[in-house]
Amino acid sequence: MNLTKTFSAAILAASVSLGGFAANAEKAGGSMVFLVQPEPPSLAGYVTTSGPVGLVSPKIYEGLFDYDNDGNIIPVLAESYSMSADGKTVTFKLRKGVKWHDGEDFTSEDVQFTIMDVLKKVHPRGPNSFKEVSSIDTPDDYTAIFNLDNPAPYMMRAFTGYESPIVPKHHLEGKDLKSAPLGNNPIGTGPFKFNEWKKGQYIRLDKNENYWGDDGPYIDRIVGRFVPDASTRTAAMEKGEVLYAAYNAVPNIDAVRLKDRDDIGVTTDGYSMINPMALLEFNTKEGPFVDAAVRRAISTAINRRFMIDTIFFGYGKPATSALSSNFKATGLHAEMPNYPENGDIAAANKMLDDAGYSKDGAGIRMKGVLDLIPYGEDWRRGGEYLKQVLGDIGIEVELRYEDVPTWLKRIYHNYDFQMNLNYFYQLADPVLGVHRHYGTNMIRKGTHFVNSSRYSNAKLDDLLRAGMTQPDEIKRAAIYKEIQTILAADMPVVNLFELEFLTVYNTKLKGAYGSAMGAYSSFSGAWLD
Amino acid sequence: MNKTNKILRYISRRLLQGIPIILAIVVLNFFLLNMADGDAVDVLAGEAGSATPEYMAELRKKFGLDQPLPVQLAVYLKNVLSLDLGYSFRHDMPVAKLIIDRFWPTLLLMVSTIILAVGFGILLGLLAAISLNTWKDSVITIFALITYATPLFWVGLMMIVVFSLRLGWFPTSGMENIAAFYEGFDRVKDIAIHLILPTITLSLFYLALYTRMMRASMLEQYGLDYVVTARAKGVSERRITFVHVLRNAMLPVVTMAGVQVGALIGGSVIVESVFAWPGLGMLAFESLFARDLNLLLGIFLLSSALVVVVNLVVDVIYCFLDPRIEVN
Repeated sequence: MNLTKTFSAAILAASVSLGGFAANAEKAGGSMVFLVQPEPPSLAGYVTTSGPVGLVSPKIYEGLFDYDNDGNIIPVLAESYSMSADGKTVTFKLRKGVKWHDGEDFTSEDVQFTIMDVLKKVHPRGPNSFKEVSSIDTPDDYTAIFNLDNPAPYMMRAFTGYESPIVPKHHLEGKDLKSAPLGNNPIGTGPFKFNEWKKGQYIRLDKNENYWGDDGPYIDRIVGRFVPDASTRTAAMEKGEVLYAAYNAVPNIDAVRLKDRDDIGVTTDGYSMINPMALLEFNTKEGPFVDAAVRRAISTAINRRFMIDTIFFGYGKPATSALSSNFKATGLHAEMPNYPENGDIAAANKMLDDAGYSKDGAGIRMKGVLDLIPYGEDWRRGGEYLKQVLGDIGIEVELRYEDVPTWLKRIYHNYDFQMNLNYFYQLADPVLGVHRHYGTNMIRKGTHFVNSSRYSNAKLDDLLRAGMTQPDEIKRAAIYKEIQTILAADMPVVNLFELEFLTVYNTKLKGAYGSAMGAYSSFSGAWLD
Repeated sequence: MNKTNKILRYISRRLLQGIPIILAIVVLNFFLLNMADGDAVDVLAGEAGSATPEYMAELRKKFGLDQPLPVQLAVYLKNVLSLDLGYSFRHDMPVAKLIIDRFWPTLLLMVSTIILAVGFGILLGLLAAISLNTWKDSVITIFALITYATPLFWVGLMMIVVFSLRLGWFPTSGMENIAAFYEGFDRVKDIAIHLILPTITLSLFYLALYTRMMRASMLEQYGLDYVVTARAKGVSERRITFVHVLRNAMLPVVTMAGVQVGALIGGSVIVESVFAWPGLGMLAFESLFARDLNLLLGIFLLSSALVVVVNLVVDVIYCFLDPRIEVN
């Protein structure tokens, strides 16, 4: 069941501070228990973008903006912004009267410190998001002026409490950012205050009585519970012990069973700025897949629809280019050849014949090893399907499944692989989530989730640079069309399908669904019926 | 020299002998764990989605992972000898605090499991042995066989489905109701209710083991000469069973239970995972995949110390069960 647009819009109207629209149905009080899986390593959302941290930390820390499901800006710590004509100066007007959980005032100094001294330095993605920011001026307590070296259109989509949380300067200044006590005892401006973290059991947050918003928070406590076993998580959801489970904490196989119940709903909303894409990475430097013709044939053979329907229970969209179709909203996505939805074995066989790879007596053209991302059973099944379909075009595949550290080391450090089944977050803009996969400057030994294919194309590098700084939407779309054309021909990475993560929720929980960030949002408007 | 003195001397000698054993285990574990590919920084950076090489190098430096292995080992041993278990960089907490926090739930689960398994195991084994070849014996033997052969995780899930979802008697998982904030006696009651399903699940396997063992051991004792002698003396069957045979038949069960205390810490991973019980097994399991070696070594240290101590306790219990056995 997808929540309809109207419903989300209504919730949105209720959850953002639009005064007059505020519905009066919200009830205050109660405890909301939700699933956090796995247990996060810390709550320092300014140092890590790890998924479970994202489930908890944005309830405590806020960003300058949030975004609705259509990508429109919702003002949070910044009430408005203006951009100069050349796109190089962005002025934010900050909200007045916001207090940190310890009672101190929130000011423009905090914004300046957060971006320049924290996110640009220690955040995994911050150095990219704020690459062009050379300085931030703070003429008064409620104005922050970002000075940019070049226009950075993508930066405007990186201001959520998950992606760029604003942190208190007075708790971090002069300290080692990665080991400061704030990491385990967060103090933010958000609707919920940190109370207790019982390792191995739960994290408890309490309502911030001094929250700046007029609407919410309504819930007295939010408790994130850690339940390691997927079947038990489903049972806890069925029994109503937990009310909210995002990022497939309740697996698809159970979600399709639960969604017919009256008290449980399932939605795919809340992931559009995360944009996960399932894909195959190839080693383009050595091994059997250095020839682009072979990679094109592999992309042509795969029945994307079959993978979605049988392995992911229908949740997903076949990929049609190097970019997710979610980028249609900004005009960047363009459909490309070589991504047939249902696969074409005959065409793929012909492509390999034409490229001069002939079958031997046993019908085998070449052999290869496929590594599988060690994030669960679904990917193993995906690997089994790929082994079968590649066998049909004469590529004999051996599957390899290792634990996370071993796998990361193999793919991103030793480059000791031929073909790797994986998924990447394409995030809110290609600059943030896609460039890292293809740019020559992103061949970084030992850095995870970057260009492990070691694909290098000078022309593409130029286009990526141009796409980064082009503020004009139409010109930018043309640049990305060319980028997608090159990638559809070279295919260092074969995109398979856009994953649709599921959020399973108890219908008692209302008002938690308006933000494009979904589970990574603040829950300020959430309430219990 | 009187017996108490002898036992005390024996205990202190055994404890001293235990120290080199534990240290050897630590060193061995250290090298074994370091043979695995990837380190804590790889995992942290992998979870974060992306990280710069400079950031990762800085982390390695901070964690001391940039040092050569022998240096890391020397640092670790030095810390252990000064009773400092080190720091878990992943959890950003001292290892000792993490372990102690998780030790109590494990202890609670372990003790209740042992009591249930050993207690009922002895009882059922005894019952089967004295009702040899009757329907009681058959029922108990079949029950033991089935529970012994059923995988723990499946039993756990079925318990949840039947007693929690269908009947609604127990909560599905966790150690306490975290939305209720009970205090005092209410909290004790709440934890006890949460403890029932995991304890039953974990004890079923051991229960089966002890039942079978007790039954066999009883039957063996019945055939021995001293039983024949006792019968000839006109001692009642009741007295033979409960005073003579039972006491002797318990020895192997106690031995086995002692050996398995160590295994219980690790073997409860499955039960802890299914019931989201916040114990040491789960912590060890997660630390392995996070390559949190300091924490893992700390857990191994604790469990090896526990095994040494429990084995000692078992040896002492022997002397009381069977006065012929003497410590020396």
